[in-house]
Amino acid sequence: MRVVIAEDSVLLREGLARLLAENDFDVVGTCDTPDELLLKVRSYEPEVAIVDIRLPPTHNDEGIRAAEAIREHHPSVGVLVLSQYVELGLALKLLEESAERIGYLLKDRVSDVKEFTTAVRRVGDGGSAIDPTIISQLLGRRRHDSLLDRVTPREREVLELMAEGRSNQGIAERLVVTERAVQKHITSIFEKLGLTVSCDDHRRVLAVLAFLRS
Amino acid sequence: MAASVPRVLGEVRRGVPRHLGITVSSHWFRVAVCVLGIATAPLIVVRIVRDGGSEALDTTLVLTVLVAWSFVASGFVAWDRRPENRLGALLVLLGVWWTAGHLMQPPTFSSPFVLTVGELWRLVWTFGFVYVLLAFPRGGLTRRVDMLLAVIVFVAAVPLQVLWLLFLDQPENAFVVWPRPATADAIDSAQRIIWLAVAVVLVAMFAKRWLDATPPLRRTLAPVVAGGVTVLVFSLYVIVDKFREVPLFLLWCLLAAYTAVPMALLWSMLRARLARSSVADLFLELRARPAPAELAGALSRALRDPSLTLAYWLPQYESYADLEGRPVKLSKETDGTRATTLIDVDGRHVAALLHDPSLREEQELLDAVSAAAGIALENAQLQAELRARLDELRASRVRILEAAQVERQRLERNLHDGAQQRLVALSLELGLLETQFADDPQSKQQLKQAREELGRSLQELRELARGIHPAVVTGHGLAVALETLAARAPLPVRLTVDLDERLPERHEVAAYYLVSESLANVAKHAQATAVTVDVAYSDERLVVEVVDDGKGGANTDTGSGLRGLADRVEALDGRLRVWSAQGSGTRVRAEIPCA
Repeated sequence: MRVVIAEDSVLLREGLARLLAENDFDVVGTCDTPDELLLKVRSYEPEVAIVDIRLPPTHNDEGIRAAEAIREHHPSVGVLVLSQYVELGLALKLLEESAERIGYLLKDRVSDVKEFTTAVRRVGDGGSAIDPTIISQLLGRRRHDSLLDRVTPREREVLELMAEGRSNQGIAERLVVTERAVQKHITSIFEKLGLTVSCDDHRRVLAVLAFLRS
Repeated sequence: MAASVPRVLGEVRRGVPRHLGITVSSHWFRVAVCVLGIATAPLIVVRIVRDGGSEALDTTLVLTVLVAWSFVASGFVAWDRRPENRLGALLVLLGVWWTAGHLMQPPTFSSPFVLTVGELWRLVWTFGFVYVLLAFPRGGLTRRVDMLLAVIVFVAAVPLQVLWLLFLDQPENAFVVWPRPATADAIDSAQRIIWLAVAVVLVAMFAKRWLDATPPLRRTLAPVVAGGVTVLVFSLYVIVDKFREVPLFLLWCLLAAYTAVPMALLWSMLRARLARSSVADLFLELRARPAPAELAGALSRALRDPSLTLAYWLPQYESYADLEGRPVKLSKETDGTRATTLIDVDGRHVAALLHDPSLREEQELLDAVSAAAGIALENAQLQAELRARLDELRASRVRILEAAQVERQRLERNLHDGAQQRLVALSLELGLLETQFADDPQSKQQLKQAREELGRSLQELRELARGIHPAVVTGHGLAVALETLAARAPLPVRLTVDLDERLPERHEVAAYYLVSESLANVAKHAQATAVTVDVAYSDERLVVEVVDDGKGGANTDTGSGLRGLADRVEALDGRLRVWSAQGSGTRVRAEIPCA
């Protein structure tokens, strides 16, 4: 899987490149500015672009704007946005239209190599990777919701992992259960929340997010 | 009432006229001279009546008397009002001189000597008349061109007239020495040509003066207009007289024009006197204790100068300011477009009037208005001073808050680019190491623990950095930042953000802190079950409202958090209000102007 990295901290950029290379990714380019990023994406058409949210020159929203530009002009390129903070508002903005080929993770997540590389792959394969912090913030907002109260604790775990963008297989691995069991939980959750079941992972993410936002 | 003493700033009045040699300070002396002038004028008629004159002559004589009276009367008014301005005395003198000149004619006198002197005498009067026109309104000649014109007219009227008489061959000419009609005629023509040349310059000058004048100044220029007309009529007379006998009608026009000049002067002085009744109106207005903001309007009405403005003297800043405390610069240039009158109360400088220079011509009015406004001006000065100090205070509060803001931003940036990045890179290294120890469960476990510990440190560092400065506000705007705040609040928050575009950073940061602090207060004290946060922009104001359904009774004075928020909001000229009745929730509302 071909990856481009835009990150202005040298330590982190080199670390990321090494981490991905050691895990069978093809790091075709690294850079530290939004312009270079767009150039590299145009030239290499990678599967995933990993973008630091704070990029020069102002370190304000250049990263997000670059991510949005890539999604608009290169819809086949997955974008994984990394940040020291995850902001619910930004996540909602990024997921506004689709949950396809998009990821938004805390930088800390890079320390769990397996989890992180899975997330990158998911984004590259057309899925999504939403930071658990975002999901818990969303769930926090629905704390006193009677519908959510009907969901069992196990189902709630499944719901959270599903909202992060994981596939049934991913959820099953994570919870150490069979995919069949996961599917059963999901059907139950959708029934309880009154959502229509979709087998498409990212549609499913959007449906869950929409429910959590409402 | 404290006495106010106006001073004149900037333009030093140049060419203050020198006084006549005689002492003319006594009012009764002036009255006596003028009564004499008025009383003797009818003698002009008496001599004709004795002569058994015709009706046509009567009209001429009545006009002739009117000329004398108009000069004496208006001269008296001017002289009595402003003894230091010799224009009044000059006018009275011209009136008396006129009468005397017209008495030196047959049949009152028949001696050729007196008649010849009379001829000369009347021409000297003409010179005096032109001098008055040039000297208006100051009473003296201040400009080089005025002096030059006066000298030319004098030469034409006196020395050339004497020269002419030396050659004029006529029986009633007592001065004839060499009777040569041709020479006399040449001199006469020269005199008339010189006059006509002077007349052109005079009319042009008067026209320019009128055109250049500001509207308030034009009100005082009526005598100049009358003077211009008179010069034209007299020129016509001079031309016609050379070739044929002057028609009576033209003579009457000339006499009427002569009368018009002092009459116009009298009118403009009476008008000024009427203006002084506006001082009485001003007194009444000031007794009603007008708000300082209405003071400039009242003074402007009293002085009939719509362009009038006030500048208040702020002693500790050693500068002038308007009522809002904004600095005002007094121009010291004498370009003549604005004039400044300084007003002192009890020897303390209080304010400056910035007005049209023409008001200088109505110095008494200016003095009276300044004196009347004294106390009210003092009050307004205090207000201006207060505002200036408030402005300074507000500016310093803004500076302090902004300096703190910049410092926090710098700290956050340093943390982000330094410690946080390094720790993330370190945790990445640990993660990589961990994968390399796949077959050493103990080391792998230890590495995992270290990695998780590092993750917690990063989490704490992140919270710390966020508390120092919400970088997300700067980076992504208020709406995004508030979304997270609402999500992280320990109770349900209904958030509505209605902003079309980004606002200035300090407004966004203030609103962010306002919501953040309010939500923290609600969580800590309110025992609320729900909060609504509304952020909207309307009418060039950012409005932030946080309402909870808790127990209310929040104290705005003891809560340093609320006080700090109020400081932030007020530093941006906004208002923070808190409603917190016992038992009915708390509502915090901030309105921040934001164009």
